[in-house]
Amino acid sequence: MRAVLLTAVSLAAAISGQTPVAPTTEAVGIPRGENVSGYNVRQSFELGERWHSVGGDEGMYRSTVNYGNGPRLLSSSLSVNSLEGHGGLFDQIQINTLGLGNDPYESASLRLEKNRLYRYDLGWRSDAYYNPGLTIAGGEHFMDTVRHVQDHDFTLFPQGSFKLFLGYSSNTQTGPALTTIQQFNATGDEFPLFANIRRSQREYRLGGEIRLMGFRLNVLHGWVDFKDDTPVSLTSPSAGNNPADLTALTSLQRSEPYHGTSPYWRVALFRESKLWAANGRFTYVAGHRAFVDDETAFGFSRVGAPTGQQVITLGNAERPALAGNLTFSLFPSAKLTLTNQTSIDHIRMVGNSFYTQATNGIPITPFNAFTFLGIRTIANSTDADLRLTKWFAVRAGYQYSTRRIRSMESTALANGLIEQENGLNTGLLGLRIHPVKALSILLDTEIGRADKPIYPVSQRNYETYRGRIEYKQKSFRLAGYSRTDYNTNSASLANFASHSRQYGIDSSWIPKNWFSIDASYNKLHLDTLGAINYFTQIAGVGPVQPVTTDQSLYISNIHTGNLAARFSIRQRVDVSVGYSHVQDVGDGRSVILFARGTTLSNPVTFALASAQSFPLSYLSPQGRISVRINEKLRWNAGYQHYGYHEDFSGLQGISQNYRAHTGYSSVLWSF
Amino acid sequence: MRYSWGMLVGGLRGGLGLLSFAFIAAVFFLASPAGLLAADYVGSNVCRTCHPNVYSTFFRNPHYKSIASGREKPENTGCESCHGPGQDHVAAGGGKATIPVAFSQLAPEKVVDACLRCHSQTVSRANIRRSEHTQRDVVCTNCHSIHSSPAPKFLLARQQTDLCYGCHSSVRAQFSMPFKHRVNEGFIQCTDCHNPHGAFSATWNMAARPRMVDQAVGNEEPCLKCHVDKRGPFVFEHAAVRVDGCETCHSPHGSTNARLLKRPVVFTLCLECHNGFANFGRRLDGPPSPSPTHNLADPRYQNCTTCHVRIHGSNSNSFFFR
Repeated sequence: MRAVLLTAVSLAAAISGQTPVAPTTEAVGIPRGENVSGYNVRQSFELGERWHSVGGDEGMYRSTVNYGNGPRLLSSSLSVNSLEGHGGLFDQIQINTLGLGNDPYESASLRLEKNRLYRYDLGWRSDAYYNPGLTIAGGEHFMDTVRHVQDHDFTLFPQGSFKLFLGYSSNTQTGPALTTIQQFNATGDEFPLFANIRRSQREYRLGGEIRLMGFRLNVLHGWVDFKDDTPVSLTSPSAGNNPADLTALTSLQRSEPYHGTSPYWRVALFRESKLWAANGRFTYVAGHRAFVDDETAFGFSRVGAPTGQQVITLGNAERPALAGNLTFSLFPSAKLTLTNQTSIDHIRMVGNSFYTQATNGIPITPFNAFTFLGIRTIANSTDADLRLTKWFAVRAGYQYSTRRIRSMESTALANGLIEQENGLNTGLLGLRIHPVKALSILLDTEIGRADKPIYPVSQRNYETYRGRIEYKQKSFRLAGYSRTDYNTNSASLANFASHSRQYGIDSSWIPKNWFSIDASYNKLHLDTLGAINYFTQIAGVGPVQPVTTDQSLYISNIHTGNLAARFSIRQRVDVSVGYSHVQDVGDGRSVILFARGTTLSNPVTFALASAQSFPLSYLSPQGRISVRINEKLRWNAGYQHYGYHEDFSGLQGISQNYRAHTGYSSVLWSF
Repeated sequence: MRYSWGMLVGGLRGGLGLLSFAFIAAVFFLASPAGLLAADYVGSNVCRTCHPNVYSTFFRNPHYKSIASGREKPENTGCESCHGPGQDHVAAGGGKATIPVAFSQLAPEKVVDACLRCHSQTVSRANIRRSEHTQRDVVCTNCHSIHSSPAPKFLLARQQTDLCYGCHSSVRAQFSMPFKHRVNEGFIQCTDCHNPHGAFSATWNMAARPRMVDQAVGNEEPCLKCHVDKRGPFVFEHAAVRVDGCETCHSPHGSTNARLLKRPVVFTLCLECHNGFANFGRRLDGPPSPSPTHNLADPRYQNCTTCHVRIHGSNSNSFFFR
C-alpha cells in the first residue's frame, strides 16, 4: 500500500512540478490518521512565510503573479471518516484550504455527509485581481479588486430514489478601480474617473429528483439576484487626456444602481437501458434588470465655455432565454454507438432606456431608446462510433445548425426589423488505432461550412485537423500531437483569414518511486489577416482621409517548454525542480519593423506594425525542497523566479518588463 | 378432433401466458448482470482476506456506502458491484482472468458501460456517450482511481490540473502565459468551465460542437459564472458577445496580452470586425467602421475602450460610452 501511495505521490509531484511556488497540493507525508470513537481522523497544516522582491514594473508583476509577503496557512486538510459507515450525525467531514491568510488566491472547501441522509458541500474562493491594463487603456482602466465566490449545496437523501436539493451561491467583487468618460460631446476629451466597485450576485436554488420506472426526473428552480452599485466620481479637477483640447472637468458624480433578477427553471429527464439511452433537458431563464444612471458634471467645453451637464437614464432590460436538448443514443451492438442530439436555443434581448440630458440648464428632447436582439438557433448532430476491431475504430459525425438573428436598434426602426439567417454544416471523421496495447494513435478532422456568418472574424469555411500519438509503457509515457485550424471568412482572402497550428510533445518517466521527470514542448502558431478601414491624416498634414485598403496582419509564434523533475533521498528529503519558458518570437524578426520616431506617410502603419508582431519572453525556474523531520513533521522551502521581457521597446512606448524572486518556507504537520 | 372457439381462446391464452412468462423471465435474466445468480456473489468480506491493502482504506471511498447501507443487492454491494461475482475468482485462488470485470483488461467502452450501470442518468453525465473523451477512448479509469485516489474528491487519479495537463499539453502551455486564469495557482479548476463527461450543444457560436464547455445554469457561457457583471441583460448589447461568445475577443485559457485579449492592442481587435464590410453585422451593412472624427494616427483613438467604456453592453448608450 505504501508503495502504491508513494507512486501516486511521485506521479502527482512530477506532473505538478510546474505549479507556482504555492502550497504543496500533494501530500508530502502520508498521514495514516487516528481512530477515535468509530472515526478515522487525518489532519495536516502547512504554515509558512512568503517573501518576494520585484525589479522593474511591479504593476505587471502584480497582474501576472501577485504573491506578496507574510505568514500564511499555505494549506490545510482535515478528513474524518466513519469506519463502518454508520456515524452518528455524519459519516464524512472533508475540509481543504489553500493560501489562507492574505495569499492572492485563497480557497476552502468542505464536505459534510451522512450516508443516505444528507450531503453538504461548501466551496469558498477569493481572488485578489490587480491589473493596470497599461497597454489597452494607458492605465486608466486600472483595477485592484477582490472577488469572493462561495457555493453551498445541500442534498437530502443523496442516494435515494427521491432527492431534494438546496443551494446558495454568492459572488461579490469590490475594490477601487479607474474608468474613463468622454465629455461633453462626441468630439470632447476623455477623463479618468475613480470607481468604487461594488457588485454582488446571489443565487438561490431549490430542486428535486425522482427515480421512477427506470426514468429519472430532475427539476431545479433558481433565482439569481444581481446588484451593481458602483459610484463613479472625479477625484480632482482634470484637464483630460489631451491637454491641447480645452475641454476640462471640474467635478463629476455618477450614481448608477443596476439591479435585477434572473429566475430560472431546469427540467431534465433521463433513461438508460442496455440498447438505448435518452435524455432531455429544458431550461428557461427570465433575466430582468432595472437601472438608473444619474450623472452630473461641471467643467469647460471644448471651446473653453463653462459647462454643466446632467444626464439621467432609466429603464429596464429583459432577456428571456429558452433552451432545450434532446439526446438519443442507440447501442445496436457492442461495437456500435449511435447518438443524436437536437438542441434549440432562443434568446431575446429587449430593453427600454429613457434618456434625458440638460446642458447648462437647456434640456434636450428626452427620448426613449428601444433595442431588440433575438437569436434562435436549432442544431442537430449525429455521431456514430464503430469499433471494428480491438485495435481499430472509426467515428463520424454530422451537424447542421441554423440560426436566425433578428435585430431592431431604435424606435425609429420600429418597422424595420432586420432579420438574417445562417446555416452551418459540419462533418467530422476520426480514427482510433491501437496497433499494440502501449501505442495509441488518434486522427480526426472536422470541416465546417457556414453561410452568412455575422462577423468577419466568425467561422465560415473552417477546417480542423488533429492527430495525436501516445506511447505508454509502465512508467514511461511519450506523446505528440498536432492540430491545425484554418478559417477563411470572405469572398476574397482580403477580408479575414486565420491560420492556427499547434505542435507539441510531452513525456514523463517515473523509473523509481524516488525519481520522476516530465517535460513538454509546444509551439503555438497563429496568423490572421483582416481587412480594415479607418480614417487618418496622411503624412500628418491635410484633412483626415479614409483608408480602405489596409490590413491587420497578426503573427504570433509562441514556443513553450516545461521541465520538472523530482527525486527523494532516502525517503527523507524530497526535491523538485522545474522550469517553464514561454517565448513569443512574433514573425521572427529580431528588430522592430519601424523604430520609434520613424516618419511614415501613413502614421497608422507604425501603430499596426508595433502590434502585429510583438515578441516577448516569460520564464520561470523554480525549486522546492521538503525534509521529513519525523513521521508527522516536514519542513518545506521553495523558490521561484519570474522574468518577463518584451523584446521590442514596448507597446505604445510602455515597457512592462520585470523580474521577480519569490519564495516561501513552511512547516507541514500531518497526522 | 373438433376445434372450438374455447380451445382457440384457451390456446391463445396459454400461448400468451407462456410468452409473458418467457418475456418476464428474460427481463429478469437480462436485468441481472450477465444472468448471474446471487449465489455467485461472495461478499466484500471475502475479498478483504486477500486484498487487505485495498479494503483497509475502503471506508474512505464513496463506494463504501454500498456496503455500509446493508440494503443493496449483492450485485450492487462493495467490490462485486464493480468487479462482478467473485466465486470463480475465489475458487481459482485469485488471478485476473477469473475476475468477471477486471478494469485493467476491459476495452474502453466496457469501462464506460460498467461505471454507467450506476452513474448514468445525471445532468453532469448526460452527454457522456457523445463526449469527445469517450469518442477518443478516454474513459472513466483514465481519470479516476477507485482504490488509491490522492485527491480529496471525486476519486481523481491525480490533482485535477495534472490530470488534464497529462493529455492537454497545449492547454498547459496556455496556462503558462503571463496572463491567464489562475488554474496553476489553484484558484480555479478546469471543471469550473469544462465538463469532462461531455457538454450540451453551445448556446452561442452556431451551437458549435461543445468542446466540453460546460454552461452556466442559464445555458450561458461559463465565463458568466464568475464575471457576473458581463452577463446583463443590457438594453444595448454588444451583439458579438451574445452571438459568437466571449472568445470573439478573448483567449480564455491564457494569453500574452493583457485582459486575455487576442491582440496586444485594442484597436486592431476592434477594427478587424468594425470594417464596414457589407453583409456582416446586426444590420447586414457591416459592423460600423470608425467615423471621420477618429483620426487613428492620434493615440487617443487607438485605445477604443477609453471612450467606449461599456464594451460588453450598456444601458444608457448604444455606443457604449457610459
